[in-house]
Amino acid sequence: MMKRNALVLMVSITVLSLAASAGTISGKVSGVSGESVVYVDTIAGKTFPAPTKSPVMDQKGLVFQPHLLVVQVGTSVDFLNSDKVQHNVFWTSVGGNKKLTHNLGTWPQGEKRSFKFDTPGAVPLLCNVHPEMSAYIIVAPTPYFATSDKSGEYKIENVPDGSYTVVAWHEGAKNQSKPVTVSGDTKADFTLSK
Amino acid sequence: MRSHRRSVVVFICFLFLFSFSRSSYAIPAFSRQYGTSCATCHIDFPKLNDFGKAFKDAGFKFPKDDGDFLKIPPVMLGAPAQKELWPHTIYPGVIPGIIPIGLRFNSFFNVVSKNANNINAQLLPGTPGTVLPSSIPRTDFEPGFFSIFTAGNFGSDIAFWVDDDISVSGANANGTLGDAYLRFVNIGRFFKLPKDSLTFKIGQFELDLPFTQARAYDISPYDIYTEANIGVLNSLAPGQQNVNNVFTFAGAAHGVEFSGGHTYGGYHYAFAIMDQNTSGSTASNPNVPTATGGNSGSVGLFSDSNFKDLYGRFAYRFNLDSDPASRKEIQAAGATGPRDHTFLTLGTYYFYGRSVQHIIGDTGTNVLEAREPFYRVGGDFNFNYHAFNLYGLFMYGHDDNLLPLSTLTGFVSSTPAKFNGGFIQSDYMVLPWLMTIMRWDRVQSTADFLNGIGSSAAGPNPGNYFSPAGDTRNRFTPGAQFLIHANIKASFEYQIRPPQIVYASGATARLTNPFRTNVATAALEFVY
Repeated sequence: MMKRNALVLMVSITVLSLAASAGTISGKVSGVSGESVVYVDTIAGKTFPAPTKSPVMDQKGLVFQPHLLVVQVGTSVDFLNSDKVQHNVFWTSVGGNKKLTHNLGTWPQGEKRSFKFDTPGAVPLLCNVHPEMSAYIIVAPTPYFATSDKSGEYKIENVPDGSYTVVAWHEGAKNQSKPVTVSGDTKADFTLSK
Repeated sequence: MRSHRRSVVVFICFLFLFSFSRSSYAIPAFSRQYGTSCATCHIDFPKLNDFGKAFKDAGFKFPKDDGDFLKIPPVMLGAPAQKELWPHTIYPGVIPGIIPIGLRFNSFFNVVSKNANNINAQLLPGTPGTVLPSSIPRTDFEPGFFSIFTAGNFGSDIAFWVDDDISVSGANANGTLGDAYLRFVNIGRFFKLPKDSLTFKIGQFELDLPFTQARAYDISPYDIYTEANIGVLNSLAPGQQNVNNVFTFAGAAHGVEFSGGHTYGGYHYAFAIMDQNTSGSTASNPNVPTATGGNSGSVGLFSDSNFKDLYGRFAYRFNLDSDPASRKEIQAAGATGPRDHTFLTLGTYYFYGRSVQHIIGDTGTNVLEAREPFYRVGGDFNFNYHAFNLYGLFMYGHDDNLLPLSTLTGFVSSTPAKFNGGFIQSDYMVLPWLMTIMRWDRVQSTADFLNGIGSSAAGPNPGNYFSPAGDTRNRFTPGAQFLIHANIKASFEYQIRPPQIVYASGATARLTNPFRTNVATAALEFVY
C-alpha cells in the first residue's frame, strides 16, 4: 500500500512538473490583414513523429478549401476534387526552393491524391486550368504552430520551456523570425511588411 | 447598270469595314459571375478551349451543376416551386445577379508598303495645276472598335447574347449590331430526344460556320468569308454576266437556327432558315408597316425577295486521346493537368439561296423576273495536338447567270458565275501567353479579275479586289499574339498580299507591273 501511494505521488509530481514546463507563445501579427501563421522553427537535435492523420485540401466551386493549411513536416495531405470540372494541383516551390516544384496532375470528381510534405516551408498551390485559384500549405518543422485570427492574434500551446526561433508567415509578406525564450506564457509580437 | 453596280460596291465596302474584320469577343461578365479567369474558357481570347466550347454549347453556363460555381447568385423571377402551378402562373426564370456586360476596345497601327500609292498611276498625265487626292500614308494609328456585349442564361436553358460595336474607327455612326439572339438549349427534352440533340436559336446571328469570323482572333478576316459573287457586265472583258450577289459568309443572318450535338466531341449539326438579301438594298415603302417602323414602314425590312435562304452544316469531331475515358470528358486529362483533346474534326456545309432580279420588259409595262439560284458548298477540317492547331476550309460558290435577251422579252441562261477558295491556318501556343499564327488565304474568281480590268482607282472598287493581276489571289499572313494579361492582348500580323496591276481607267492598257501592297498591323485590345 505504501509502495502504491509512493508511485502515485511520483507520477503526479512528474506530470505536474511536465505541465509546468510546457508554456504558450502568444501575441499579435500586425502590419498585414487576415490570417497569418506562426510556428516554432527547427529545433536542433530534435525530431518529431509525423502525424498519422491526413488533412484534406479540397477544390470546390473553383476555390481551394481551405485557403491556408498548416501541417507538420512529414504529414501527408489529401488533395480532393469536389467539382464537376477538372482541376489540377501544382506548386512552383517549397519554402522558396524551386527545385521542389511538383505537379500532381488531374483526377476526377470525388477522388483524392495524397502527397507527403517532407520539407518545411510555404507551398503555394495553383491550378493550371483555373489561374485564379490559389492556396497555401505551410509545412512547419515542429508540431508547435498556430494560425492567427483575422485580427492577427495567435496562440501556440504546449510549447516546452526553452529557447527557440519563432517564425511568422503571411501570404505575400516577408517572413519574420525572432528568438523567443519560452517560460510559461510568453509573448511574441510580429510586424510584417510586404 | 453602272449605278446599280456602284451601290453594290458601296454595300460591299461597308460590309468589309464594319462587319467582317477585327471583331472579337471574350466575356468578362462570366469572369465576374463565376469568379474565374478568362483562361478557364479561352486559349487566347476569343479562341475557345474545349471547356469554353462546352460552356457555350450548354447555353453560357457550366455543363454540370452550374449553380455550384456561381459566385454571384442569380435573381429569381419566381420561386422554383411555381413550376408546379404552371400554366396558372408565369413560369419562373432567373436573371444574372449582376448586369452581365462586357466592354472591349482595340486600336491599331498600320504600316503599308509604298506600293499602295501605285494607284496614282491612273492620275497621270493630268491637267497641270490639278490638286491630287491625298496619298495613302505609309503608317497610320487607328482607333478600332469600342464594343459592348452581354450574354448569359435566363434559366430553363434559355441563353441570350447581344453584342454591338458602339463606335468604329472613332465614329459612332459606324457602329453596328453584331449578334443578338435568344437560344433555347436542349428543347429536344420536350420530344424525348437525346440530351442536347436539338437547340433552337432566333434573332440575328452568325451562321454556324466551321470557323467563326465574328469572334475570330486574327486581325484580318478570312478572304473566302468576305467573297461576294459579282458577275460582270464589263465591255472591256470577255464574257457577260448579270450576277450581283453581295451575300457573304461573314455577314450576320436574320432568322432561325436548329442545331444539336457538341462542338467538343462527337457530332454537331446546324440548320438555318434566314432572310435573303443578295442585292445589298432593301425594299421600303411608307405604305407597308413594319415592326420597327410603325405604320410608316421603311425601317426593319431586310429581305429583298420572298425566298428564305437555307444553310446546313454537319461535322463530327473525333477525340483521339489514348485514354478511352478521357476522350469522353470535356477536356482531356493530361499528365500535368487538363488540356484540350487531341482531335480531328471533319465537316461539311451547304448554303442555298435564290437571287431575284427584276427589270422592265419590252412593253415598258411588263416586269421580267430573273430567279438565279446560288449555292455555296464546302468542307473543313480541324486538327489539334496539344499546343498545335491546324485547320482549314474549302468553299465552292456557284451562281446561276441569266442574261436579259436583247428583245427584253425574257432571259437566257449563260455561264454561271463561280468562285472557289478557302484558307489553312496553323496556331502554335509557344507559351500560355504567346501564340504564333501562319495562314494562307486563297480565292479564285474569274469575275473578280475581269471586274478589275479598266476600273478606276478614284471610284469605288468594282468588285471584291481592286485590279487583281490574275484570277487567283493568294495571301500569306504570319502573325503572333501576346497576352499581357488574360484580358489584354497585343497582336501582330504581316499580310503578304496578292499581286495587283493598275490598268488605265476604262481601258485595258497596263500602267504598272505587278506589285503587292503588303500590310503590317499591330493591335492592342482589352476587354473588361
